[in-house]
Amino acid sequence: MKPLRIIAGILVLLAICAFFLMPYAWIVASSFKPQLEIFRDVKPLSWRTFITLTPTLENFTQLFRLRGAGGAMVNSAIVSLCQVGFTLAICAPAAYALTRMRFRGANVVFALVLMTFLLPIESLMVPLYMTVAGLGLQDTLVGVFIPWIASPFGLFLLRQAFEELPRELDEAARIDGAGHFRIFWSVVLPNVRTALATLALVIFLFSWNAFLWPLVILSSPRNAVIQIAVAQSVAPGQLPNWGETFAGATLATVPLILLFLFLQRFFVRGIAMSGVKG
Amino acid sequence: MAAFLGPFLLLLAVFQYWPVAQMVRDSLYDFELLNPGLRKFVWLENYLYVFTDPDRQQAFLVTFGFAAGVVATVIPTAFLLAAYLNGRLPARAVVRTIVFLPVVTSAVVIATMWTFLLEPNNGLVNSALSAIGLPRLAFLTSKAQALPSIILMMLWQQTGFATVLFLSGLQSIPAEVEEAASIDGANTAQRLWHVTLPLLARTTVFVVVMMTVFSLQAFAPPLIMTGGGPEGTTNFLAFDIYTLAFNLQQPGLASAVSVVFMLVVLAISLLQMRLLRARWNY
Repeated sequence: MKPLRIIAGILVLLAICAFFLMPYAWIVASSFKPQLEIFRDVKPLSWRTFITLTPTLENFTQLFRLRGAGGAMVNSAIVSLCQVGFTLAICAPAAYALTRMRFRGANVVFALVLMTFLLPIESLMVPLYMTVAGLGLQDTLVGVFIPWIASPFGLFLLRQAFEELPRELDEAARIDGAGHFRIFWSVVLPNVRTALATLALVIFLFSWNAFLWPLVILSSPRNAVIQIAVAQSVAPGQLPNWGETFAGATLATVPLILLFLFLQRFFVRGIAMSGVKG
Repeated sequence: MAAFLGPFLLLLAVFQYWPVAQMVRDSLYDFELLNPGLRKFVWLENYLYVFTDPDRQQAFLVTFGFAAGVVATVIPTAFLLAAYLNGRLPARAVVRTIVFLPVVTSAVVIATMWTFLLEPNNGLVNSALSAIGLPRLAFLTSKAQALPSIILMMLWQQTGFATVLFLSGLQSIPAEVEEAASIDGANTAQRLWHVTLPLLARTTVFVVVMMTVFSLQAFAPPLIMTGGGPEGTTNFLAFDIYTLAFNLQQPGLASAVSVVFMLVVLAISLLQMRLLRARWNY
């Protein structure tokens, strides 16, 4: 009975892993195959469907040469890194003010921020487009990240971390004659590194994966981010090149998967905290 | 103080509060995005249209049906998976990592991946169905199967997230409670249903609301996989707003849909807060 149960358990585990991994395996393996080989290997199903013995880089070189995948990757990297940097720079001081400075209406401010936490961006795209276009930022990379750097989620996460930091630390610094800027920079920030790293990773993830807003605000091909480049190769009504599309999807996914594998605990904690704002 | 909080509040006002106000105003006008200066005040005509036009009604219906389908499939799957992974298992961390992979993969890549997985002729799923002797299906091109196909995709994508949330809930249940139940002679199923599930009520509410809100906001699936079709059966609200405003040049109408949509999502979020604040008596 016992060994049978163990074998059954292992089989269930393998089935679960296969269910989640097989789509990735198919996409990645197929991105190294020419179109006809993809079709040939999928019918009938065999190990060849998920592995290739004669990989070709043809799809990737086509992507970079003709479809500007390199430029799209660079644009995505610029947007994501700027969004991370500015979000930290805007949210950290705000969180400091809400937790370390006493002023009338602090609760009102926090309530106002919380309200926006609940607004779905999908409902805001039209007026937001008009606002950003009104500032002359349509079809620019700045326009892609600037609406999101005052992140309610970021403020929320950092505020929690700042609250958990014992106040004796900043009182000791104040007695030594340090002002708010000094306490913020040399006492508080160094002690909330984990929260800052969590926020940075989650913002990077959201920014890299964002699709709707970049699609709305960007129009010229040279500004396209990687998600738009991938989407354009499949949109209904197109005759897609399977291998190239899979190569694009692989390119768009690999950086995040690598980050995730190395920094898993930050991701899981941060995404769980991000709550309603997906 | 102003130096610390000022930039945040300024940006919030410009990019959140101002657009909301503008959206409410725009929803009362008829105009074109290309020419926003030329606008006509139409009172509540746009709202009347939102509530009476069959296409808009279908969009609301399809979106909420989709959310209901996602919740009804993801919650039980994730709960069982979490209960299973919570036991003593070899390589538990590896399995958890694998089921979480789709959560960090972009909606675009997932929609792309599934477009090809579900492709009728050369897709992997049909090929797998043939391999085990089942008939091939039309999936996204069929009126009856398109929405269930996208629900299946969401199940694959979101189960990992829900499972991780359930797992952290499970780990907060003291082991003694389950032990006591098994000493009293409860079998695994009874234990899950009568002991574990009620103790996870808060987590469950949280996961349900999260899945609902995620599903209501789905945009990439209709844009990439179906174009909202066939015959509007996957015309989700986010996609409907996008097409109304940017393809059909009807931003006033799109704003009215947005306002209704925003109010619904707000109501759901507030309901969640209430439920989470309520005391659960164990």
